[in-house]
Amino acid sequence: MYFYIYDSFLSEKKHERTLAAVETRLTDLGISGKIGRLSPFTSAKGLIRDEARRGTQTVVVVGNDETVAKAVEGIGEVKVTFGMIPVGTPTTIAKALGIPEGVEACDVLSKRVTQKIDLGKVNGKFFLSSVRIPGDRVVIEGEGQYRISTLASNCEIIVSNLRSGDLMEEGEGSLRNSGDPMDGLLDTLIMNRNGGFLGLTKQNGGSSVIPLRKMNIKSEEPIEVVADGSKFTNDTFNIEVVPDCLRVITGRERIFAQI
Amino acid sequence: MPNKEGGHEAETIISASVKVEGDFVSQGNVLIEGEVEGSMKTEKDLHVGEHARIAADVAAASATVAGEIRGNVDVSQRLQLEPTAKVYGDIKTRDLVIASGAVVNGRIVMDAEESAARPAKAVKTAVKTAVKKAEKAEKTEEKIEDAPQDATEEAPEKEKEGTKKTINAFFTR
Repeated sequence: MYFYIYDSFLSEKKHERTLAAVETRLTDLGISGKIGRLSPFTSAKGLIRDEARRGTQTVVVVGNDETVAKAVEGIGEVKVTFGMIPVGTPTTIAKALGIPEGVEACDVLSKRVTQKIDLGKVNGKFFLSSVRIPGDRVVIEGEGQYRISTLASNCEIIVSNLRSGDLMEEGEGSLRNSGDPMDGLLDTLIMNRNGGFLGLTKQNGGSSVIPLRKMNIKSEEPIEVVADGSKFTNDTFNIEVVPDCLRVITGRERIFAQI
Repeated sequence: MPNKEGGHEAETIISASVKVEGDFVSQGNVLIEGEVEGSMKTEKDLHVGEHARIAADVAAASATVAGEIRGNVDVSQRLQLEPTAKVYGDIKTRDLVIASGAVVNGRIVMDAEESAARPAKAVKTAVKTAVKKAEKAEKTEEKIEDAPQDATEEAPEKEKEGTKKTINAFFTR
């Protein structure tokens, strides 16, 4: 039994045709199901919890990275399979999972290649892909055993479980793969960036990658971080991996165990 | 990033703009281009870049060093010191390659040589003593074998000589 979560922005007229095509294809494939719509008064967490109680086994998010962030917060706590149909932008998480945009995602869903992957947790909140933290004047305490500090300014710290599509594109060397979300570790990427032309930032080479299970990131003053596209502000971030937490539907070309 | 030594991907990369303080432990390949203070341990390969500065005791399965290490280095397999390498501390390894220009200030203990040499010497000395013992034993056996034969053969001859002497003495008188 499938349960589809539509993000609130999908009510915009520009997404009407895509949604109609998606719904037709899902019916053709015999995997249509109940639809829940997010609104300022309806949280994904609440919807998922209620549907899981009713016996729903698969929750499919229809939307962008931010929709995934809203859903993962609830999915991490219940035993359901997670799928997504990327509509809108950005959809970097879908790219990392090997799921094409729009109608084509329906075929990936129907093939149902599932893998059990890790999730990350930042200050008690689940994330699937990554947490992005501005790296200036920030100290990372890894596994309670050592401190990592950045010597350069203009650094960005990305704690990544599943490297999103944009990160893979801008990265170099080992950053160019999607990471291994089945290894029980979170990759701490410290990207050294330089201010580029017209305020654009570009990577200045020499990025660090440190795999950790648990870390504590402290900043001198409150900073805004982005977890799976959703923003929040704090000065201390307790981040840890939750191994084998989520069963996820992926494209056939994303078999993580082969990385 | 490729590890120059084995061609493996480094799982942990500490770039030039990063400093690590404390007891750093890794289970994968490690590439260090920045600073490390405290101790550094990995179960796999370690590559220390040319501009890396490590003030820590280092332990790894194998290592290639092009930068500076101030601390003891314990490598269970192969340690390769590049021309720019500087090691201020004791080195313990099984297989060591030092390029011309590399600086080492400390004791070098070659585990394999020591462990390999000891049994070899022991075997050699054991063989030598065994051979000597065998030779001695052979000689004593020969003596033992020779001794009764001589005794049995020489005794009648002596007796004969003795009788000859008495006969000659009798005739001279």
